[in-house]
Amino acid sequence: MGSRMPAAQGRLAQGGTRDDGIGRRMIVVMVLSCLAFLARRVELLLLLTGINAVAIFWLHRGPLSLRREMRTFAWQTAIILGLHLFRFRTMAGLWLGFKVSWQLFLALLPGMVFARTASQSGIVRVLTRVMPGRAAFVLSTCMRFIPRLLGEIKNIYEGQVLRGARILPRDLVRPWHWADLLHCVVVPAVVQGMALAGHIALAARARGFERFPRRTCWPGE
Amino acid sequence: MQLDEQAPLLRMRKASFRYPDAAEQVLKDVDLEIAPGCCYCLTGPTGSGKTTLARILSGLAPDGDGGGELEFAPAVASAAMPVGLVLQDPDVQLLASTVGAEVAFGLENLGVEPAAMPERVSAALTAVGLAKAHDFPVDKLSMGQKYRVLIAAHLVMEARLLILDEPGAQLDPEGLLQLRGLLERLKAAGIAVLLCEHRPEPLLAVIDEFWQLTGDGRLQPGRWTGTAVPSGSWSVPSCAGLSEALLHAEDLAFQGADGQDVWSGVGLELRRGERMVVTGLNGTGKTTLLRCLLGFLAPSGGQVSILDGLPEPGRLRGRVGLLFQNPQSQLFENTVREEISFALKRLGLARSTIAERVSQVLQGFGIEDLAEASPHKLSYGQKHLVALAAVLAPGPELLLLDDPLAGLDGYRSQEVLELLVRWSDHHNMALIWTSHEPDLEYPWAHRVLRLEGGRLVAA
Repeated sequence: MGSRMPAAQGRLAQGGTRDDGIGRRMIVVMVLSCLAFLARRVELLLLLTGINAVAIFWLHRGPLSLRREMRTFAWQTAIILGLHLFRFRTMAGLWLGFKVSWQLFLALLPGMVFARTASQSGIVRVLTRVMPGRAAFVLSTCMRFIPRLLGEIKNIYEGQVLRGARILPRDLVRPWHWADLLHCVVVPAVVQGMALAGHIALAARARGFERFPRRTCWPGE
Repeated sequence: MQLDEQAPLLRMRKASFRYPDAAEQVLKDVDLEIAPGCCYCLTGPTGSGKTTLARILSGLAPDGDGGGELEFAPAVASAAMPVGLVLQDPDVQLLASTVGAEVAFGLENLGVEPAAMPERVSAALTAVGLAKAHDFPVDKLSMGQKYRVLIAAHLVMEARLLILDEPGAQLDPEGLLQLRGLLERLKAAGIAVLLCEHRPEPLLAVIDEFWQLTGDGRLQPGRWTGTAVPSGSWSVPSCAGLSEALLHAEDLAFQGADGQDVWSGVGLELRRGERMVVTGLNGTGKTTLLRCLLGFLAPSGGQVSILDGLPEPGRLRGRVGLLFQNPQSQLFENTVREEISFALKRLGLARSTIAERVSQVLQGFGIEDLAEASPHKLSYGQKHLVALAAVLAPGPELLLLDDPLAGLDGYRSQEVLELLVRWSDHHNMALIWTSHEPDLEYPWAHRVLRLEGGRLVAA
């Protein structure tokens, strides 16, 4: 193998300790998430929403489309409102449910944006300062494969809908259909998740993961 | 590293292996030798032990009882990771988000100093002919490029033997062509290659020797007879007599997250009993097309009419079947009988009717003896059959299959295909079948279309 570096591969980071402020960003994300659990009044939730907007601009170093996150918020809110309506059957109950959903979203949003905007290598480099290198790798790999697992769950869901499972959103309004969701989607999803974990572990071991006690870190992105 | 070109890289003697819950050994007295710069192809039916043998050779034997000897040449034994194993699905092996980090993963595990990594990573990428920046996202690579990144990730650890487990299951013809060129270069550099492959046709030019696992655990010298591709003895069916339109799509378009058209101007009509194949290279949007036809995804333009109405999944229950590439992921019941009964129960059929229909399906698929077995404990090929039986039990008018033969050997592929064609003929069921192998022949199909350059055209 030659050792000459092609011109196309010139964008390299130097050194092994650079973190591009990921450590700082991670701390801000954790603080914002914790604050969401303390903010119970509407004024505080509004204030925190504003702070989040500024923080997201800073995390991404510019404006960022939150279409995907807002879709998650809409789904989460619909489910929580449904449950509160079932439990309280009043407008006050619905308002309480909306606040819970808002609070939960503010707790999750900074982490979701951080996962989208920070490089995996950078996250591992920061995490290795506070936890063993292997644990940091496992944590970052779990984050990387979440979209893949969600894709598998989507496949399972669509196949089961056509097999007759009562799991469309309008079916799930009736709680007695929730058993289908558990039975036809959650169970195979867990089986698939375990199989995926097995494949990832094998792929990592095939490249020497856990073979030697000391693990270093790629210095680039 | 200097290697004697005549001396084998590794020798395996009297290797055997039995899985914990298996009555029979999957490998029995396997002897083999691997020489530098040679390419071997290991064939054998699904479940015959190819992947098990590959894992043992790469030092990753699964849990079970094994015996025998594995001996490396001294120059190879000193390497940190002399054997590299690339598994079937590149996407589950890409552990980092950028090309540089991915190739460097092995170096991180070996404890190589970070400052020394970029140069070694660049050299490995050069060796596989991939001119990408280290910070290039792996998710934006084509499937063939991903495969080459994975090979680079083993070369960077000085692998002298590369084991590639079924590259043909995921790579399209373009990816396989790139792989063939790369294997030629690697062989010239003295690196040995072992391919575990059902369908080695696109790689025949680089293969020096064939081995075959016979199904009883023995390894024999083999030769390629070219029978693995399902060919069947069907005459080309005629569209005459097919009249009633089940599915009609007009000027359909779909935009990706980046706002670019994945495909556009797609029009198709499918009649009752008609069998249609849609081929296309990886990433051309075949699965997306199926999802749009069923209403799981909204197209950015155009119209779809399916079974005399709009594509709404709730309306299509029991009337349309869908099977993705990994059909066994849909299995969830405790027995095969319950798995097949599920859809019938949801249709609200009487118990006696369900029992009768399940018996017919079990018989039709030749799996009566598996009726009380757990679907999760069956072999890969059997799970495929059960998943298919479960989807067909309600008697759908239309079945959509997304690359359903991936990972199945020639015999199983043929079996699945024959069952489907027979079922389609007998029940007048229409089929849409997607495939990443445009070069295969589909004599059982009424029409073959190709997704290419964002358009659906006749093949």
